Amino acid sequence: MAVIELKDVTKVFGTGSAQVKALKDVNFQANKGEVVLIMGPSGAGKSTFLTIAGSLQKPSSGLVSINGKDITKLSAKQSNNLRLNKVGFVLQAYNLVPFLNVQEQFQLVDKVKKQGNLSKEELTDLLKQLGITDLVKKYPNELSGGQQQRVAIARALYANPEILLADEPTASLDSKNVEEVGKLFKDLAKSHEKAVMLVTHDPRLEQYADHIYNMMDGKMAKKK
Amino acid sequence: MFLAIKEIKREKLRYGLIILMIFLVSYLIFMLSSLAVGLASENTQAIKSWNTQEVVLNKNANVSMNQSTLTKTDLKKADIGSNEALVGENAVVAKHKKRPSVSSQFLGVKKSQFIYKNLELVSGKKATKNNEVTVDQDFKVKGYKIGDKLELNGSKKKYKIVGFVKNAKINIAPIIYGSMTTWKKLRQGMPDVQASAIISRTNGYKYNHGNAKTYPVKQFIQKLPGHTAQNMTFELMIGFLFVISLIIIAVFLYILTMQKMHNFAVMRAQGIPSKTLVGATISQSIILVAVGVILGLIVMWITAMLLPAAVPMSFTPSIMIIGSVGMLLTGIIGSLIPIRSILKVDPAKAIGE
Repeated sequence: MAVIELKDVTKVFGTGSAQVKALKDVNFQANKGEVVLIMGPSGAGKSTFLTIAGSLQKPSSGLVSINGKDITKLSAKQSNNLRLNKVGFVLQAYNLVPFLNVQEQFQLVDKVKKQGNLSKEELTDLLKQLGITDLVKKYPNELSGGQQQRVAIARALYANPEILLADEPTASLDSKNVEEVGKLFKDLAKSHEKAVMLVTHDPRLEQYADHIYNMMDGKMAKKK
Repeated sequence: MFLAIKEIKREKLRYGLIILMIFLVSYLIFMLSSLAVGLASENTQAIKSWNTQEVVLNKNANVSMNQSTLTKTDLKKADIGSNEALVGENAVVAKHKKRPSVSSQFLGVKKSQFIYKNLELVSGKKATKNNEVTVDQDFKVKGYKIGDKLELNGSKKKYKIVGFVKNAKINIAPIIYGSMTTWKKLRQGMPDVQASAIISRTNGYKYNHGNAKTYPVKQFIQKLPGHTAQNMTFELMIGFLFVISLIIIAVFLYILTMQKMHNFAVMRAQGIPSKTLVGATISQSIILVAVGVILGLIVMWITAMLLPAAVPMSFTPSIMIIGSVGMLLTGIIGSLIPIRSILKVDPAKAIGE
């Protein structure tokens, strides 16, 4: 069974002549241990897809399920809980809390989610795998772009979600770093049994994907 | 609390400036409150030290003891028990060749009555003769000593200071306690006058005869010259300071919240509940106000210690408690204003930015 599945999902913004169909009958699924790329140019509907898959907003029609459970009818509080427990986000600008150092970014998760987070040993292993063990006392503005991104990935994984959603994870990286990040996501998907969904328009990531979906004008088609 | 403390620690300058402003406002509130209480106390110190409940005055004196005269006829049927005392009041200027002149209130009292009996001596003894007086310790602060001889209102007769007493001020002027005979001499030309007032410490005491009329102490105090106007002025200033601090806290927190909206959206996207963010904002406000108020209390305490005794300032525990609680409540109310914006944060805004 797919960890996450979207069936005939449509998202409409506005009404009347100002109506815009951001998603048109989108069908999608991802399994644990897989890296899935959602590719397409700006304005294709990738971000809207991400917000609906991550339960940040609801579709106008269609079904979104995580582990077979429909999430379109969840209350705001239930959606919040779902994001805290099942979905990890890595955002475009990494978006770490600016006044917390790396260690405190994880402590913040501990404050709101008391159980089910990575153990000390698991976190140490993850930080080693990401190569950021020495950065735990640093604040976001003391880190390079690549380091911030690794911290953002670690934070997203710290709550031990089943799904990792990344928004343009290579937007500001050079080819060498793209290769590292691509390998990292692949490794994380396999070693941590996560469904990793990368929304990107960067073709350099294609080689690390198990599946690739193309988006254009709100429509999604499976390429690989 | 976690987010609140971490952010304040990280953004020391920003939050330091807010704390500085809250400190200044709270310091000003404590200062004005202390002055208000100090001045009010100097207006009524003696009246309160007598434990006054009712005051009998001439009904035509506009509730002013200084203007009141009670004659033999007025006092004919008065029941003067152990809880009542006759008082004769007269404004005087006390002079001594080597000391500064002091505008004072001469109070003639009877040795057999409770006001004289309950005088709280700081040093010396109570006046027993007509040429002796016991004066408020304010005289001591101004350099007067036991044995000094005073001229009252330029009289040739001199009155020897035999003791200093505390809590002896009325209408912000220090009291000179002397005998009724001396008071009558000072109040020349009214041979039939026996006293200015009857002070009673019995609640509900009533004596209305001739021109005598009984007033409750509250009404008597309100009618003290300048007392109500002075208190209302201070209350208005303190009230405005609370409103100003409310605006400062609310505006600053609102601006800070608006600047953090993207962070809030990101945290909400990551599943951090709104209540955590709201709690952080409120606790941040409480921490800022608490630190500012504590600093205000410390500096105010030092100020009160350093100010000369002539400044009528009374920094009491009740001012500390009421001022601090008032500021904390103001801070909490101020922090509630940006909460609506926090609750309305759309986590979807974190994507694609």
